[in-house]
Amino acid sequence: MAGEFADRAALDAVLDRALAASNADETEVLIAASDSSLTRFTHNFVHESVTERNAQMSVRAVIGKRTGVAGTNRLDESGIAEVVKRAYEMAKLSTEDPMFPGLPASQDGVSEVPGSFDPATATATPEMRAAAVADIAKVMRVNDLYAAGYVSTQSDAFVIGNSKGVRRFHQGTDSAINVKAIGSDSSGYAEGFSKRFSDLEPTALAERAAKKAVAGKNPRALEPGKYTVILEAPAFREFLGYLSWIGFGAQPFDEGSSFLSGHIGEKLVGENVTVRDDYAHPLGSGIPFDFEGVPRQQVTLVERGVARSVVYDSYYAAKLHHANTGHALPAPNSEGPLPLNVVVDPGSTPLEDMIKDVQHGVLISRTWYIRLVDQKQTMITGMTRDGLFLIERGRVSKGLKNMRFNESIVGALGRCDLASALVRSESHVLPAVRIEGFTFSSGTEF
Amino acid sequence: MQFESEAQRVLDTAAQGGAQYADVRFGQTRDEHLEVRNGVVSSLSDGESAGFSVRALVDGAWGFASSADIRDAELDRVAALAVAIAKASAKVRGHGISLVPVPPSVGSYATPFEVDPASVSLGERVDYLLSAEKEIRAVKGVTVARAWLDIWRTNKYFANSEGSKIDQRLLQCGSAIHALAVGERDVQDRCFPGTGGLYQTGGYEIIRKAKLLENARRIGEEAVALLDADQCPSDTTDIVLSGDQVSLQIHESIGHALELDRVMGWEANFSGTSFATLDKLGSFRYGSNQVNVVIDMTCPLALATHGYDDEGVAATPVDLIRDGILVGYMAGRDTAGTAKVGLSGCVRAEYWGRLPMIRIGNVNLEPGTVPAEHLFDDIKQGVYMESNRSWSIDDKRLNFQFGCQLGYEIKDGKKGRMLKNPTYAGMTPAFWRSCDAIGDAQSWVAWGTPNCGKGEPLQTARSCQGAAPTRFRNVSVGVAYGG
Repeated sequence: MAGEFADRAALDAVLDRALAASNADETEVLIAASDSSLTRFTHNFVHESVTERNAQMSVRAVIGKRTGVAGTNRLDESGIAEVVKRAYEMAKLSTEDPMFPGLPASQDGVSEVPGSFDPATATATPEMRAAAVADIAKVMRVNDLYAAGYVSTQSDAFVIGNSKGVRRFHQGTDSAINVKAIGSDSSGYAEGFSKRFSDLEPTALAERAAKKAVAGKNPRALEPGKYTVILEAPAFREFLGYLSWIGFGAQPFDEGSSFLSGHIGEKLVGENVTVRDDYAHPLGSGIPFDFEGVPRQQVTLVERGVARSVVYDSYYAAKLHHANTGHALPAPNSEGPLPLNVVVDPGSTPLEDMIKDVQHGVLISRTWYIRLVDQKQTMITGMTRDGLFLIERGRVSKGLKNMRFNESIVGALGRCDLASALVRSESHVLPAVRIEGFTFSSGTEF
Repeated sequence: MQFESEAQRVLDTAAQGGAQYADVRFGQTRDEHLEVRNGVVSSLSDGESAGFSVRALVDGAWGFASSADIRDAELDRVAALAVAIAKASAKVRGHGISLVPVPPSVGSYATPFEVDPASVSLGERVDYLLSAEKEIRAVKGVTVARAWLDIWRTNKYFANSEGSKIDQRLLQCGSAIHALAVGERDVQDRCFPGTGGLYQTGGYEIIRKAKLLENARRIGEEAVALLDADQCPSDTTDIVLSGDQVSLQIHESIGHALELDRVMGWEANFSGTSFATLDKLGSFRYGSNQVNVVIDMTCPLALATHGYDDEGVAATPVDLIRDGILVGYMAGRDTAGTAKVGLSGCVRAEYWGRLPMIRIGNVNLEPGTVPAEHLFDDIKQGVYMESNRSWSIDDKRLNFQFGCQLGYEIKDGKKGRMLKNPTYAGMTPAFWRSCDAIGDAQSWVAWGTPNCGKGEPLQTARSCQGAAPTRFRNVSVGVAYGG
């Protein structure tokens, strides 16, 4: 079913018709087709279960150095003709951007990431997702808890082409399980992501979340102050996600608002920190080309603590006289290019040993509502949730009520030690991390 | 009505499959966005999307399916799929979901407007934004100047198995300017109007009344001046918040806290739950006597205003907080019975393809009696803060920390020196109880929030929190930089 919907020949035919219909100097067509399903649960029952099928086409028309973008999900003859015409009319009425370099020309082919598409995941049924929920609920009942979370499966296809010969196609699947185990005064969290639904283990994830909720009962309040903390991967991912947005793209770098602006080649964080963007990491979910059809490069952003590069699309590559790294977002976009597959190299210490080495500290399972306080200082604020624990003399000793933190991400990466195991969290691949002198500014009631 | 026969086909198929209740929505959206950045048009887009969705209730469990293809075979497939999903859900169904009864609605609604955006040429729109952006860039020290506008049209048809048939045409518009100044050690920015622009229901008149051009030079100058301004001190002091900042405070610490699905744990794994639990209804002191909050989906100009929500419930004002006491929640047909509260018509989906859920609608803080220019009068020492820069609150909506773009010292009732990086923090009930003065109706604005996120899969909703500048006593300020 999903295979038919995302049929390459059918999408190519739509793309060909759109390119043929355009009178613009240059034309780019992007079609994103998706068949996605998500089953959501709370109190150990399914309260929402949805599936959505859609294919959205976007046409970028270029006249000289003027561009316009129009979109539609009507992929029939008239829908194609109208969207092409609207893009052209908008380009005519736009203003010239002297820096616009034209659409990217055809380049070498790309290599698909092995295992990107799993037919069984593409055809997963609501019964299979509900069965996973039932497995999770079973673990919860044994522990006198209830669970909230979701089980999702999806199949996506992208086709991108332009009038300068670029033509790309990618088909991929993805799946996830998210479990929050909830007790009377505590909660615990676990998550799993994979391109193959069969890789995910609902019972094991439920047991992990339940163990945290049980261990966190009767939480005590922690005094605000500076602590040694261990961020598990879901928490660390939110830090890296923010850093990517505010600092690793060419646009903030060019504007001077990135922490990397003017500092390429300088040591900014600890020597143990290497951050890359790697679409091909086997644990990840990357696509081998960007939304202009340019092959993605594997880019080292920070190498052994030293700032190395940001990521580029065709516009910023031309403007800043740098090679295009293949990190464009769909046009038009006001963010500039961004890394979407951030990988943090692991350290050498297993997480368990890392905890053993902490005399007095805090384990953070998950963070929530992180927001930027100061861009240049990379200072963020946010809350902990779903599993905050005191570490005493090398052991996780008791549950804590949740805390607010105010912390510089770059500052924290200068005082950190990275665990040895890599896991996927959303689109990131990264280890847990220990940070010294982490600032908690206040607490909450639970 | 367009889609009436298609809707009936879907409802018949769902009923034949075993649905005890079903509804269907056909939707068409068209979103125009125009943005200029440092002298060039950086984004010019015009997107449309159309499709339909089916929600089916079988044995106390929901199923939902949607598709962009509205040919007969797909209508049948999606209707049957929604029922099949509901049956799968029913295998793990708990106590079962039931709907509070609502009389069938047959009607239509269209957003009133003065100026049809289609009558304003793209060239005129581009010129307008470029002129405002040029004014910002004329200020020495501005690194990035931007101006943008949005025009959103939504046509939708709703029908359900109880006989409701509703046709709606909604029109929402908004615009803003933004100045970014980059210094040696910090980055400062200013936006106007408010935190992210003025977004309301209506036509192109909403964009014209924003007065972008008239305020562009000032906004640029403020962004640059902030680089050299004094740091907001860390202290416990009185504060006055601009109306747009109060709007966000309402959104985060009242709006989300009073969504009944959150209260019931339906968002527990993602958006979170709420401290405002059912046992508090009718007696809990949420704020001072000054604090009166109503959800009013009929409010003129407000961004979420419509005739009916996406489960066919007519827009109806409902009190949430009266004289400071918690008296209501935002509820849907599948949750209202639990709390025995009224329906306001606030259940909405981002677009045709997504499941409707309880969303902050127009959650308005009623105006007070103090002219805004007198809110400083009896403050000996305090801080005025304007327009949001960062916002964070815990997953039960208690512990919050907000940062603003612009601050001013208040001394002996007068506005003093400019302050950079103002932040304030607190716990929700204590904060609203410290409210002792709200600006009058003259200073009240239906501030729209076009980007509220909730749900899985994530949905973005457009909400409104009408507010006036408001005064709070003994608030912790400067805490973000206090560590």
